[in-house]
Formats: sequence, structure tokens, C-alpha cells
Amino acid sequence: MESCVGLALKKPRLDAEPGPDPDTRTHFRVCRFIMETVGNKQLYQTCEGVKLGMCSEPLATACTVYHRFFQCCSTRVFEPYLVAMAAIYLAGKVEEQHLRTRDIINVCHRYLNPGSDPLELDSRFWDLRDSIVQCELLVLRVLNFQVSFQHPHKYLLHYLLSLKALMNRHAWDRTPIAVTTWALLRDSYHGSLCHPPQHVAVAILYLALQTLGVEVPGDGEREWWQVLSDDITKPAIDDIIVELIQIYNMDAKCT
Amino acid sequence: MDRDLLRQSVSYHGHTLFSLLKCEQQENPDFQCIAGDLSRTVQYRKERRVENVAVQQFIARKADLLFSPSWQSSTPSVKEETEDMYAVMPPLEQFMEVPGSDRRNLFFRDIERGDVVIGRINSIREFGFFVTLICLSGGLGRDIEDLEITALCPLRDVPTHGNHDDPLSYYQNGDLIQAGVKDVDRYHEKLTVSLQPSSLPSSLSHLKLGVIGVDDMPAHYSRSVAVASSTTETYEKVLKRTLGFANPSTVEFLLGKLGISETDPASLMRGLQTKNFLKEDYATSIRKKQSASWALKCVKIGVDHFKSGRHVEAMNEYNKGLEIDTNNVEALVARGALYATKGSLNKAIDDFELALESCPTHRNARKYLCQTLVERGGQVEEEEKLATAEGLYRKALALDETFEEAEEALQKLQKHIQKSLRLKEEEAAKEEKDMNKSVETSAEKLRKLLKEEKRRKRKRKRSSSSSSSSSSDSTLSSSHKKSKKRKKRSLSSHSHKKRSHRSSSNENKTFDSKEEWYPPPANTSASFLNQKQDMAKLLEGNVRVSSAKEGEVNHYSKRQDQESGIHQGSAEKSIHRKNSSSSAGSEYSR
Repeated sequence: MESCVGLALKKPRLDAEPGPDPDTRTHFRVCRFIMETVGNKQLYQTCEGVKLGMCSEPLATACTVYHRFFQCCSTRVFEPYLVAMAAIYLAGKVEEQHLRTRDIINVCHRYLNPGSDPLELDSRFWDLRDSIVQCELLVLRVLNFQVSFQHPHKYLLHYLLSLKALMNRHAWDRTPIAVTTWALLRDSYHGSLCHPPQHVAVAILYLALQTLGVEVPGDGEREWWQVLSDDITKPAIDDIIVELIQIYNMDAKCT
Repeated sequence: MDRDLLRQSVSYHGHTLFSLLKCEQQENPDFQCIAGDLSRTVQYRKERRVENVAVQQFIARKADLLFSPSWQSSTPSVKEETEDMYAVMPPLEQFMEVPGSDRRNLFFRDIERGDVVIGRINSIREFGFFVTLICLSGGLGRDIEDLEITALCPLRDVPTHGNHDDPLSYYQNGDLIQAGVKDVDRYHEKLTVSLQPSSLPSSLSHLKLGVIGVDDMPAHYSRSVAVASSTTETYEKVLKRTLGFANPSTVEFLLGKLGISETDPASLMRGLQTKNFLKEDYATSIRKKQSASWALKCVKIGVDHFKSGRHVEAMNEYNKGLEIDTNNVEALVARGALYATKGSLNKAIDDFELALESCPTHRNARKYLCQTLVERGGQVEEEEKLATAEGLYRKALALDETFEEAEEALQKLQKHIQKSLRLKEEEAAKEEKDMNKSVETSAEKLRKLLKEEKRRKRKRKRSSSSSSSSSSDSTLSSSHKKSKKRKKRSLSSHSHKKRSHRSSSNENKTFDSKEEWYPPPANTSASFLNQKQDMAKLLEGNVRVSSAKEGEVNHYSKRQDQESGIHQGSAEKSIHRKNSSSSAGSEYSR
């Protein structure tokens, strides 16, 4: 465990206000860290047209790996940021969007110590790299080597297409349904939603339609959301939506 | 905030949302403008189902993000859709079991000009034919087969097929037709279709209109048929079973199709709203800096090796540094210096130039480059590639105007060039002379020959022996040659003498500074004098060359004029001439 990461770790606020417990806050913050370094722009640039970053699915994999790891293990034993870095590295391999450890270390160091100089490529640096690689192996073992996940992304995109065919094209064009659902889906990885991917996709679509005030045309025997997934129920959708909204509420409290 | 979107949402949710919005978005100036509008909307809203307060609160909080105008999807990229890029699903209506009347209404609400329909001909009349629609094509998907919607294709929209007089005779009842919608009468629920390609928009122009086969039917239709025939099929089952769903690049393709961007992903988290990431925060720039400092370390070690004389290790370190960070300026300069010391000047020059490209203000690079260029210039000069040498010196001067060595070397070179130019000119002039001379000598020869002929005739009268004439011919020719040479020599010696008189003063001056370039001229004038006398005797003796001599003198005077004209040029040139003449002379004297 490298001291540079340990020193830079922000201590969770230990105030007595009711709210998410310190662990949840930490996890939220670490996932925010993953999103910022990987999901948005820092590790992501175009270099002669070839992207060197990560798209939504690998990002989802990284966060899922992280969450599942800490469902089994405690933050007191394992340094969350290191696990996050290992999760990023692992997700890159799983989803065929490889990132180099050197880049991961550089960007993470920069995130935790903004405006600092790049780390020297000395023995300390290589020790850090070794610790990431070892952590990766540990993570794999904790997860029983099950690191390929079914993400809601594919389901969501197909649902969007089917819905688009059903709606009036002009209504579709002027309401940003697709963009909203995608944003909701990406943000949902700040927390861990332990639901089947189809359910998550349907719930997110439902929430998006509600927020935008869109009515799905056609009063059939079955509702559109019943159709999209075989075993989904309205309470399940409601549960997921509630969890999702809670994740958004944490934004203000945890960062 | 987009007014329409906000209005749509508020009318859906009602006044609770409105009041929440007022609460949460108080400070938002956009909202305040729209607030008045919205209150009216709320009044006209119809009653809805159970309200979900949590959701409404969420909407209220995120309203400024949700309804921001910048959230509109980008225009979807129209890519070539090969089969199985994603799972093409049957229409959702079918699964939802929407009643026919609703579907009919929806269809007529949404169908537009330029859409593509597929139907079967059910009757042909004089004015056109009627089709019963089966499904939609070109990207749309609705479940309309059982609605028995008919459309008319008028005669004028049926393209002629060349040989057929009546275009309609090409068609029969029961043919599958793909046609473009030309006109829609929503109120009367009447459709007019056309088989002309012009009825389609450009994006769909690749679709074939007219008779199609069963295989050409769109995938979603064939799948919907399969679904209709079975009672256990669900959307999910069909989705999972479809090959296109397992395509790994589905997500990427569909993102493009739906117009969702991954390069600038939207988010509803406040913390993730677009930050301006500095260029320095990007992985590549951090890596570059890191590599640069690592490479620098290697270079330092390399320089130590170099100073202690361990050139091989030094080169290794430099190369290592350049592997870590290509085009690292310090490493290139150090390596260049090493190359220059070892003598591979070209490689050194390359390295320095590369270094200067990345960092034009590097002092050492400039200095070393100038020195190496001059050195190389010297080498090249010795190889007599004077133009290249000049280029190198000029380059060095261009880099550093105060570089004295380069300045000197350039001047030396220029003189050398001029000397060689003069040499060439002399050669050329000489050749000219030779040409002229040869012209004259041939005229001379002719006269001589004529005279000889006369003599021979006289001789033949005395003793007719061909051998004597031939021998005399040969002697004559050899003497001609000799005389030719001697004449040349005389001319050159004349010119030499003349010039030496005129420009002796100049000669002395320039001589001192140019010693190393020009060997001191041999004192050849005296030797030529003797020869001249011999020659004169010879000339007088053998052949009467009075006319020829005249010509000679004329030529000589002409030459003098030429030379005097040239003399007005620099003194250096005269010296060049002199030397060239002397060297030419020395050639001959050998």
C-alpha cells in the first residue's frame, strides 16, 4: 500500500449528522473519482482519431467490480482508492479498452493532488504499480473470477429503439429521452443497484419518461414496461427509482 | 430552460410539481420567465394517476439540468446498416396488444410523406391500382397488417417499363409492392402512394420501389409474423434469441443511431457538470512530462560517460533516453555532439536539426550545429562539391550570423568557387579559341595545301613519287600541329606578359592573402620567349604563313580586347586567369 495514495485520501466526514454512513460516503466518493478520471475526460483523449479512454460499459464494469468487492470486504482493511485503480485496470482488460498502469497512476495521483508534478519514475513508482497489479489479482479472487457482467446498456438501447418506433417522430425528436436515460444510467453507478439489468433499464426508462412528462401512446392490454421485460413488476420499478433518486441525493452530502 | 419541455412535464404532473419547482428553482432566472406561463398550463391539465412526490421532487431539483436546451440529441449518424448490427425487433404494439382502432389512429397520425410502405395489390383499375398495406419499411415499424389499410397508386406514379404500352399490365393482383407515400389525408384516412423514386427522401433512395419478393420484406416484419403465430413469444425472449443482440459492437452502433454522444456524456450529477479539464491533467501530457524527466536522467549519466571517455556507454544511455522520450531535446543534442566527436558528421547534423525543430532556442544545439556544419563543409569542399559546401556554410551563417569561422570559410569558399568558375570560363574560352583556331588553322591548312599542291606539281614534274608527298604531307601535318601548339603558347605567353605588366600591383596584393590557394606562378615568361623565337623561325622556314600570321595577330588583338574588357572586373579574376593560363601553360610544357 503506497503512502502517496494513503496520505492523499480524504478522510470521510465524521460529523454526527444523520445520513449515509461513512462507508457509503467513501464509496460514493471513490466512484465519483472513477467517473471523473475514466468516464469523463482525463484518461480519455483522442489521439489521431483513436480513443484512449473508456466508454460507458467499461466504466460500469469498473464500478460494479468495485462495489462487489466492498460488499465482501471492509474498507478498514483495504484502501478504497487502490481497489478503484485496480478495478479500472481490470475493467479495461475485460472490456477490451486497455489502459496502461502508468497512465492510471499518473491521472489518479493528479486527481488526488491537483496541480502537482508528475511522479518520478523511481522505485516508489514501480512499487505502486506492483501494488495495483497485486490488488487486481486479489480483487479477482474475491469475485471468484466472475468479472463479466450483463449491463443494462444494451437492453436500454434496444428498448429506446422500440419506443422510438412507437412514438410520433417529432415528439421523439424534441424530447431528449435517449440522452436523459443515458445520463441516468451512467450516474446510477455511483451506487450499486443490485437488480437484473433488464429491470434497471426499464426503470430508468420509466423515470426518464416521467420526468419529461411523456405519455407512451397505445393503451394496450399490457403496459409497455410489462412488455419489455418478462418478470418486472411495478413495485420493482418503483424500488429502483427510489434507490436511484437516493443516489442523487447523496451527491450533495458526500462530496 | 426549454420552455416546451418544462411545460410538458408540468402538465403531466400537475400543480404539486409546479409548487416544488417554484421552491427549488427560485433563483434560476430562466425559470422565473417561464413561471407565469406554467401557472396557466397547470390549470388546463387533466386529472392523472397517483402522483409520485419523490419523483417530482427529483424533477424539481434537477430541472435546470433536465430541461436545458443543450440536451437535445445530436443528429443520429446514418450509417450503413448491415444485418445483425443489433436486434431488429417486431413492433412493440404487437406485444402490447394495442387494439386495432388505436393502432389505426396512431398510424394515420404518424405516417408522413416520404415513408415507405409495403403492400399487396388487391385490384387494378384503369387509373391505377390499390394496395393493402402489410407493413412499413425504411426504419419504421408498426403493426398494421390486420388493419387492412388500402392505398392508391395512381397511374401517373407508375413508372413505364419501356416495352409495355400500358405500365399497369406489368402488375398483377397479389404482387408485393414497395412504394413511397406521396400524400396523406388524415381526416379521411386515405393514402396515396407512388412508385417513382422521386417520392423518397435522399436517405431512403437506396430502397427499390416496385415489385419485391418475400425475401425482401424487412426483418421486423418476418419476426412479427413469427411472433404472431406463437403464443409464448415475448419481447424479451425474441430479443435474447436474436443474433444481433449478441454483437459486441451493438452498443456503439446504437448510440450512433440514437444520437447519444459518448465523447461528451451528459450527467444529472451536480458534481459532474462539465468541468474544464486543463490540458495538463490529461494522461498523455502527464506521461510526456514524466518520460521527459526520466530521459533527462539517462542523458546526465550519458554525459558523465562521455566526459570520462566511455563513448559506447554514453551512446547507450542516449539511445535509452531517446527510446523513453523520442525527440527529447537534451538527448538529441548530446548524441549529436557524440556523433560529431566520432566523425559521423551527417548523423550529428540530423540530430541537431531535430533538436532545433522541437526547441529552436536551444543555445548549445545551435552552436554545435554551426560548428558541425562548417566542419562538414570543409570536408565536402575537399571533395570538390563546392555547391554543397556553399550551402552548408550559408546554413551555418543563417543560424548564427556572428559565427566567424563560418563567415571566413564562406568567403574562402566563394573565392574558390570563383576561381573554379574562372577556370571553367578559361576552359570554355580556350575551347572557343581552339575552335576558332581550328577554324583558322583549317583555313591556314587549306592555303598551305594549295601551295603544297603547286609545289608538288612542280616536284612531280621533277620526281613523281607519292611517298615523298605523303611524307611531306605528314611532316607538314606534324609541323602544323607543332606550330599550332606553339602558336597557342605564343598567344598565351603574349597575354601572360601583357597582363603581368598591367596588374602586377594588384597581383602582389591579392597574392599575399591567397597564398594557400594559389601556388606561386612559375616564372614561365622567360621560357616562352625562347620558344617563341624558335617558333618564328620554324614558321618562316616551313611555310609562308604571312596571311595566317595576320590572322593570328588579328585574333590576338581581338583576344586582347576581350581581355581588356574583362580586366575591368575584379583583380582576382585576372589572377585567376593568370593562374589558369599558367597552369594551362604548365600543362603544355609538360
